[in-house]
Amino acid sequence: MSALTRALWCKIGPVLLADSRYRFLFEKDDSGELVSLDCETTGFNYVADDVISIAAIKIRGTRILARESFQAVIRPGAPMEASAIKVHQLRQQDLAQAGTIREVLPDFLRFIGSRPLVGYWIAFDVRMLNKYLFSLLNVHLPNRQIDVSELYYERKYAAAPPGTMVDLRYASIMADLGLPALPQHDAFADAVGAAEIYLVLEDLRRRGVRLPRKAIEAATDFQLA
Amino acid sequence: MPQRFDDRNPPFDRLTHDEVRELRAALDIGYFPPGTVIIEREHAADQLYVIIKGAVEERDGDALEAVLGRNESFDARALVHGTAGNRFLAAEETLCYLAPRTVILSLIQRNPGFAAFFYSDISRKLESYARGREAEGGFDSVMRARVRDARINPAAFIDATETLEAAGRKMSACDNNTLFVRDGDRIGIVTGMNLSKAVVLQRRPLDTPVRDLSHFDIVSVEQDDFIYEALIRMTRRSKRRLAVKANGEFVGVLEDIDILGLVAGNSQLIPGHIDRAQTVDDLAHAAFDIRAQVERLAKQRLRVEAIAEITSDLNRRLITRLFDLIAPPSIREAGCVMVMGSEGRGEQTVRTDQDNGLLLAAPVKASDLTDFRRAFTGALESFGFPPCPGNVMIKNPQWSQPVDDFIRQIKTWILTPDEHSAMNLGIFFDAVAVTGRTSLVDKAKTAMIDMMRGESAYLAHFARYIDQFAGASAGMLTSLMVSVGVTSDQIDIKKAGTFPIVHGIRTLAIEHAITPTPTARRAEALVARGVLGEQLGRDLISALAYFMDIRMRSQLRAVQTGRPETESLVHLAELTPSDRDLLRDALRVVKRFREIIRNRYHLGMF
Repeated sequence: MSALTRALWCKIGPVLLADSRYRFLFEKDDSGELVSLDCETTGFNYVADDVISIAAIKIRGTRILARESFQAVIRPGAPMEASAIKVHQLRQQDLAQAGTIREVLPDFLRFIGSRPLVGYWIAFDVRMLNKYLFSLLNVHLPNRQIDVSELYYERKYAAAPPGTMVDLRYASIMADLGLPALPQHDAFADAVGAAEIYLVLEDLRRRGVRLPRKAIEAATDFQLA
Repeated sequence: MPQRFDDRNPPFDRLTHDEVRELRAALDIGYFPPGTVIIEREHAADQLYVIIKGAVEERDGDALEAVLGRNESFDARALVHGTAGNRFLAAEETLCYLAPRTVILSLIQRNPGFAAFFYSDISRKLESYARGREAEGGFDSVMRARVRDARINPAAFIDATETLEAAGRKMSACDNNTLFVRDGDRIGIVTGMNLSKAVVLQRRPLDTPVRDLSHFDIVSVEQDDFIYEALIRMTRRSKRRLAVKANGEFVGVLEDIDILGLVAGNSQLIPGHIDRAQTVDDLAHAAFDIRAQVERLAKQRLRVEAIAEITSDLNRRLITRLFDLIAPPSIREAGCVMVMGSEGRGEQTVRTDQDNGLLLAAPVKASDLTDFRRAFTGALESFGFPPCPGNVMIKNPQWSQPVDDFIRQIKTWILTPDEHSAMNLGIFFDAVAVTGRTSLVDKAKTAMIDMMRGESAYLAHFARYIDQFAGASAGMLTSLMVSVGVTSDQIDIKKAGTFPIVHGIRTLAIEHAITPTPTARRAEALVARGVLGEQLGRDLISALAYFMDIRMRSQLRAVQTGRPETESLVHLAELTPSDRDLLRDALRVVKRFREIIRNRYHLGMF
């Protein structure tokens, strides 16, 4: 979501909002906190796929409040594909007792409030959530979104010479910043990881430190013996 | 909290499954930019910090005391005892788990093993670690050993056409009760029991070919098989010995007793080997066994004090036997062999040098003495005792002379000291008579104590050596390259830890005419006389044991990698967090003790 569309949503959102109990989503955030967010989904198709777990963790100052986290597993509307089950390891039966997205969303919205959202490729998560939110409340999430892969790009590759290999994979970023790996494809672990990446990169930005790039590696691939 | 929080990382490995879950649920994560003061000196902390990534400096004023890295936690003192002794500062970008004080305190109350980590008292802490360690050794680890780790009798072969009598003689000659029998293409085995039965029970003639007594259904194991596989095979096939193969060839025989030897060590067998030795070469085997024994006992995590005790006992027997074998009658009559230095204190495990000497009640024939000096030291060198760098060996006439001349020598060392005299006095004060006229050592030692006691200037000169290596250890667990991450740093355990304790205690022992040589016994005697506080005495003994332990492990590694010159260097990066934590505590004890010695002998004036 661009800044412009977000600004628009903030203006018209309260008007369109189907349920006035959720007006807080559009109020100015004065908590000083952020929320790191990650969803696991049945696939990467916005229309056909479903969110099956959400984790959200508050960040206050330089502290990740792992204790005060929001975690929920969601029963999807449609059967899951085997390929997706292999990735997140949540099977059909693991989700049988879980609540539906309609049951989970209210608590989730109250947890995040109007705090900025931090995540790895956060636009995808928000877009998936918006799908449900729109049918429930007739609005999209107006929260500011901070994508850690963009922060990373800016610290690492901004003004890089053309032809530089850009690697923005989650695992690569964790490794480059020296962050010990967490179990991946677990919403809570990914949210913790995104929060850690955010804190490190924010500090580098504040201190004006850039991440070193390796000397152009691509060239060696084409060297002839 | 994420599964990443490592519950195998001490002290959290002491927690039960449920306790780990409780702790994980309570964790937050904190981020500290470089230069952030995480805990200020004299302040309390309301959480325990466990480093996920980064480096934290522990500073005492301006002095860098330690650099903490991944998986290390701080600060037990600030958390439990209310105030931090030092200041903790992020040296680089640092992420930590934050464990709330209330949760940690409640875990400490419930779990004594976990609580030990938070003791301020190093002797209790070490004891708790030692217990944990003993639990992991023992039978289990033996079962994971390989066949080649056992003491296998090397294969001895005999031709099938040879006689029963020849087989018996061969067994006796190579001290091996099992022979492989070559019969054309096939190979069989004959044992001493087979021979006995044939002769005694079946009254077979002595010229019976061994082929008739051999059995050719050999059960074998590979040299690289696990011991437990060998044990299973023995049980299943009801065999007490197995043939050992490597690359398709028979290389030896494994007996059930050898497996027992792996569990208990075979220290009970070595004295027999030593006593039965008829030549210097026979002794060389026993010397090798002593060395292998150290390694085996260390693997089993026997306490280092016990290993040192067993080893020095065996070494002394070895020297006694060597003396019996090679000393001419004149020297056997008048002489007394003594071991000194770490050997005398009974604190040597892996051989690093030899400190030995000979005192004579009266002069002996010059040629006898010259020959003996050369033969004795040469034999020890051939056994793998490295020569003493300070030349404190029987080979050196200064260390093998009539006792009255030696006492005059001591007097010279005291009255006109040169650069070696203080160390020579120190080494001799640790002397123990091994064999011969043992009273000669007591005589010389009493003379030395009488000359030094009450002469505070000499004692101070002697004590001064405690600072000999002060520069080398002043930084304690220091890494100066903190700005670019903790680089692998190393510490010389002997200089920074062992020596100051040994020498400080030695100085006090001379002053108080304390006769036992082991540092721990001396410290106990000093405590009993009220010279040392009880707590300090305990701390010193524990710290010394810890240094010995960590040094033995590094020595074994140095021997394995064939780089003996690195034997007392410990790479901090290779230590586990709990070892680094203990090492830090032990070095703090050294620092405190040095101060005490400095004040007592007014060393500040030098």
